[in-house]
Amino acid sequence: MSSPLLVAQGVQKTYVMGRVQLRVLRGCDLRVAPGEFVAIMGKSGSGKSTLLHILGALDVPQAGQVLFHDEPVFAPPGRRRFATSALDVLYGYERRRIHYRRFAFGFVFQFYHLLPELNVLENVLLARMVGASTFVWSRQRARARADTLAVLGHMGLAERLRHRPAELSGGERQRVAIARALVHKPQILFADEPTGNLDAVAGAELMSLIKGLHAEGQTIVMVTHDPTVAGQADRILRLEDGQLRQV
Amino acid sequence: MYKLFLTLRYLRKRRIAYFAIAAVLLCTAMVLIVMSVMGGFLDQLKFKARGLLGDIIVDNKSYSGFPLYEEFIADIAQWPEIQVATPVLYSFGLLRFQDTAQTHTVRVVGIRLEEVYEVNAFKHGLYYEKYYPGTTTLAEQQQPVIGVDLNAEPIELKNSKGEVLGRGARPLLPPPYEAALQKSWAAGVRDDETPPTEWTEICRDAGIPIIVGEHEVDPSGPPVLTGDSWPGLIIGRDIIAKRLADGTYKRYSMYPRGCVVTLTMIPTTGGGSVDTPIKQPFRYTDDSRTGIYEIDSQHVYCDFALLQKLLHMDAAERVDPESGAVVGTVPARCSQIQIKIHETVGGRPVNVKALAQRLQEHYLSYATSPRFKLSIGDTQLVEYVEAMTWEESQSHIIAPVEKERQLVTMLFAIISLVAAVLVLCILYMIVLQKTRDIGIIKAIGGSSGGVALIFISYGAAVGIVGSTLGTVLGYYFVRYINPIQDWLTRVNPAWQVWDRSVYSFDEIPHTVRGHDMVAVIVAAIAASTLGSLLAAWRAGAMQPVEALRHE
Repeated sequence: MSSPLLVAQGVQKTYVMGRVQLRVLRGCDLRVAPGEFVAIMGKSGSGKSTLLHILGALDVPQAGQVLFHDEPVFAPPGRRRFATSALDVLYGYERRRIHYRRFAFGFVFQFYHLLPELNVLENVLLARMVGASTFVWSRQRARARADTLAVLGHMGLAERLRHRPAELSGGERQRVAIARALVHKPQILFADEPTGNLDAVAGAELMSLIKGLHAEGQTIVMVTHDPTVAGQADRILRLEDGQLRQV
Repeated sequence: MYKLFLTLRYLRKRRIAYFAIAAVLLCTAMVLIVMSVMGGFLDQLKFKARGLLGDIIVDNKSYSGFPLYEEFIADIAQWPEIQVATPVLYSFGLLRFQDTAQTHTVRVVGIRLEEVYEVNAFKHGLYYEKYYPGTTTLAEQQQPVIGVDLNAEPIELKNSKGEVLGRGARPLLPPPYEAALQKSWAAGVRDDETPPTEWTEICRDAGIPIIVGEHEVDPSGPPVLTGDSWPGLIIGRDIIAKRLADGTYKRYSMYPRGCVVTLTMIPTTGGGSVDTPIKQPFRYTDDSRTGIYEIDSQHVYCDFALLQKLLHMDAAERVDPESGAVVGTVPARCSQIQIKIHETVGGRPVNVKALAQRLQEHYLSYATSPRFKLSIGDTQLVEYVEAMTWEESQSHIIAPVEKERQLVTMLFAIISLVAAVLVLCILYMIVLQKTRDIGIIKAIGGSSGGVALIFISYGAAVGIVGSTLGTVLGYYFVRYINPIQDWLTRVNPAWQVWDRSVYSFDEIPHTVRGHDMVAVIVAAIAASTLGSLLAAWRAGAMQPVEALRHE
């Protein structure tokens, strides 16, 4: 097996709601190889999305670590009390996570999460814009636009560039979200229930698209509760009692 | 880059931001209008006060006046900084128009007219002098009576439609007045204060200079100078004419130029005791408008030497009360010396305050100078003399207005903080509404600082747009404040804010100063940016996942 791209070691996450403590992740371990398509299944509320958010550097675990290219994504546990604390910034972990989100990771959400004020082109282009300073952007603008148009063309959205999210169907919105996740050519694509909000036909089309991406070498970590969707992956893991188990 | 992009997009798409912009706009305009009008009011007050007094005032604030003014004026005339100096006398009197029961308590000012013309802007406020140059004099004079030119061809009288109504004799003033009128007419001086009448229209059509003001008329004979010769008296305009709401003055035919008025005054001795009241007839030669109501409604001006004599303040022999022998001279006294100075000497600007100090020291040295043999009383009058800059002498008027301006500006600036609070509320609301968007931006790589900066830029942009529009609105409002107020008055007279019959100035100040505009814009942008800080901090501190889960 080749050197892993992403490694999760003993990831733990507990939600505190008043006096109730809900331990959703009780030490999850995971290794994702380059080009691999991993599906994580589990019941609703089992912590799938939480795990995906931690893997994608959107959330911070209370314990455990995530390594990307053998580099720790989070500060050592003792310094992790505040997620984006001055310590994080000082030690560079917050900056590191921002860097990963900008350049290495791409995220697709169940509810698309597109900015309603922007049209399709702008929503996707924004993901390129975020990673560029004004100076860099002035030099890369044309190339970024060309890349964006290419990705949107690949997603079959070339005719919908000026449309707002509200003017698109669910499937189209999800394809825009995938285009946004892919526009900066991420090393890993995280997909959180990508078909969860789509009808069967749109879901099938989308999975065909994701499979196509995998076929082109894209590493994908996907969360789903749908066994049919999970069946498309190379490997299926099940999250039960806060721990991952091979299916 | 994305920060600017999203800031501009939110500014355009979030209509709620228009309310914040409108609030900043109105507050900016409001503060600018207040600063401009109050500042202009103060500037006009200073300008008028300076025009009235000259650059430096020497005064002892005593009704008895002070001596040695001629010697002082002769001394300082040699100083390179001094342009011209003139003595002035102040007294009080009762003014009565002949053949009427109309009386006024007035402040009588004795001036040397030609010198005053040089020292300050008094000449520019004279009414008849404008249309009949050179005819305003404080010397003895008779009343001019309009007659007709019996030798000239009669004028064809036409109405406004051009229909000939008949023929009439050409009106004429006595020669010196007629010559002066012809001179000003030729120079293009026209009456822009009196509404035109049918008669003035006829004269204008016939190319005849229009006789301005009120005069005695005798249409049966030639123009004449009539009556006893009496000294001339210039009367404050608000005494002799009624100020109308549009700022012009209505003159009364019962007070024609040259009519007799009587002044009753109470002289005082150098020791301060009151003498027997004296009564002196004058002829109304002109009226003066300084633009300060308190002066124009109370002051009358007569010849300095005459008033000095009437008040027993001229030089006299000092007589020993016991022996009756002449033992010396009582020096002549004046109440004030007004001095006009050169702005620069030898290319260097004159320090007015330092010069006033030097002038005071020079005058006070007279008290102990062997040149003069002053009595104890005169020495006391000398010792109380002060030399002040015009600003110092008017500080009792200027300082309260200055404080008032600062206070009103500060009050409006505090009210304008409402705009900053509104920006805070609106941005905070936008942050709450856009919580999920903030999560999205962070999920695709937006940093906490970057997200915070979006909302700080948003606040600044609201400030920039609002203050720019507000400055434009304020500028044009101030610039056209007088037409706006005239229009409001036309629509409803009760809406008249600036009553020209009440305020000293004809117009509401309508100049916007550049530094005021810059200050208001900078303050508005700073307030809006400050107002955005809390919202920006909240937006920046949000965790991506928490923000994405926000319902």
